[in-house]
Amino acid sequence: MNDTQHLSSQFDDELARLRTHVLQMGGLVETQVSAAIDAYSTGEVASIKTIVETDRKVNELEKAIDDDCAHIIAKRQPTASDLRLILGISKIVTDLERAGDEAKKIAKGVRRIYENGHLPGQYGVGVRHLAEAALTMVRRALDAFARLDTPQAADVIRADTDVDAEFKSIIRQLITHMMEDPRTITTSIEIISIARAIERIGDHAKNVSEQVVFIVEGRDIRHTKEKAQ
Amino acid sequence: MPSQIVNALVLILLAAGLAIPVGYFVAHWAGWAIFCAGLGLQMLFNFRNFARLDRWSRRPVVDANLEGAGAWDGIFGRLYRHEKELRTLISERDDQIERLFAALQALTDGVVALDLNQHIVYCNTTAEEQLGLVLATDSGQPVVNIVRQPEFVAYLNSGDFERPLILRSERGTERVLSIHVVSYAGNRRLMQIKDVTQSDRLDQMRRDFVANVSHELRTPLTVLAGFLETLQEIDLERDEQHRYLDLMAEQSKRMESIVQDLLTLSSIESAPPPSNDLVDMSTLMDKLRRDAEALSAGRHTIIAESDGLCDLRGSEPELVSAFGNLVANAVRYTPAGGTVRIEWKVTPQGAEYAVEDTGIGIEAKHIPRLTERFYRVDRGRSRDAGGTGLGLAIVKHSLNRHQAQLDIRSTPGVGSRFAAKFPTGRIVRL
Repeated sequence: MNDTQHLSSQFDDELARLRTHVLQMGGLVETQVSAAIDAYSTGEVASIKTIVETDRKVNELEKAIDDDCAHIIAKRQPTASDLRLILGISKIVTDLERAGDEAKKIAKGVRRIYENGHLPGQYGVGVRHLAEAALTMVRRALDAFARLDTPQAADVIRADTDVDAEFKSIIRQLITHMMEDPRTITTSIEIISIARAIERIGDHAKNVSEQVVFIVEGRDIRHTKEKAQ
Repeated sequence: MPSQIVNALVLILLAAGLAIPVGYFVAHWAGWAIFCAGLGLQMLFNFRNFARLDRWSRRPVVDANLEGAGAWDGIFGRLYRHEKELRTLISERDDQIERLFAALQALTDGVVALDLNQHIVYCNTTAEEQLGLVLATDSGQPVVNIVRQPEFVAYLNSGDFERPLILRSERGTERVLSIHVVSYAGNRRLMQIKDVTQSDRLDQMRRDFVANVSHELRTPLTVLAGFLETLQEIDLERDEQHRYLDLMAEQSKRMESIVQDLLTLSSIESAPPPSNDLVDMSTLMDKLRRDAEALSAGRHTIIAESDGLCDLRGSEPELVSAFGNLVANAVRYTPAGGTVRIEWKVTPQGAEYAVEDTGIGIEAKHIPRLTERFYRVDRGRSRDAGGTGLGLAIVKHSLNRHQAQLDIRSTPGVGSRFAAKFPTGRIVRL
């Protein structure tokens, strides 16, 4: 992956292992998000429990990876692309952990909806579509990180606009619905918070992609109009 | 080699032979000059060949122009042959390797070869597609960087590969993969990936079937048992007793029809190919229309249309029951005032029997599963309508035995069209 050869191949191993750990953590978050979507469609409370349990593992991994990053900086004093990789990773894990938290929020929201005996009903399709778009973003952002593939990262960043637009249209629909029939307000508010969480997952995926661009090209494209090429 | 030494000596002697008389008779320095010039000439000659060899060794090519002069010729020739043999060997090996890779590519199963550290060495396109790998960029990458599903990572790290891992692939269309890991060349791992989506679905259907049969039979049985208990324990009036007995009879008839349908289904499945009797379609269409009218009792408009161009070959009882079933469904699921149209006509591919209604219609997501046993779009309604949940399964089987396809099109709220498409081999032109 790195063109530059290090004198100590042990350092290379450490970096490779760190990357793999980050991707393992990403894998856990991916499963969390996809299980949360399934729970939303099927209302299976059993999977909600596993999502919450996985979250604990994600948190542990986040701490372990942060520790490793600190160790490597202290011991190896990395420079240039290695330093960028480590800085990027420490930001990526924060975003991944937060995406996992959002999945947990979705799961809990789903449980509340089904416990009250309501069904997501007609919003099922829209929210599910939104969730699948966000999940694809997470998956592709992690792929981009694994392959250090900036064009793919740029695609993910662009996809975020679509997810945001879709989120807004779901909110509009729900507002109309609530005005027509106030009895649906409780469920609608739950659905809004679920959709919000999904939209946040998309944002975290976008942040991960921005870090990928930073790692590879050294450009910080956060909060700028500048798009990755 | 000796001949070359002799050659060199002869040349030196020749130079000396020329130089000594000149040195003796003319001048010393002239003799030495001639001797040195002779040696120099020889060196120049060797140096020229040396330069050619040097040039060639920097960029070895198989070039027939590579020729040395004199003693050098042998060296050049041997080098030339050696290089040529090497090249042939390499290209043969390349071909062999290429063929091996082509063989791996041709496998319908996915193959991923991993090295000692579980980094990807090679994978074929099937595996690329199954796992979302891209060999061009992913070779040398740990496989778990791309296939990140926790259950896969745990399986690969566990080192216990006795049972294959069943993995739900989440990329693109949902698929069920069975991943088998074997060791090769020491501790290296080879992953074989089979797509078991189909058999997984069959398993699911089988489980559903058993659960459904039990459920479908238990419901009337519970009713029966409940009434029996009531009759045994409470002295009821004669009227009430009759009412209960009627209900019990109804439920037992229901159970009977389920068992009957199950038996029909299993007998169709295990029966030899259907007979090849000639079925008179105009009579059959007439009968279907009359049956439909009887079932509808005047609530629907029944239209039967036949182009009268062909008859059908097959087992008459099976076809009658399949066609009748489609008509009965159409009548059942069409509200009063609707139209049921029965058609029999020749098509470019063969012939088609179709039943079209203006009924409640079926949502698209249910259509692929309609012919599964006990599959119900709306549990309450179909049971009220008296279905066993096996009708369409029987129809599909009967039609398949006649090489016919069941084509279902439907728009909710507008109507449905069930068409049995028979191939040319099954029809007899009139």
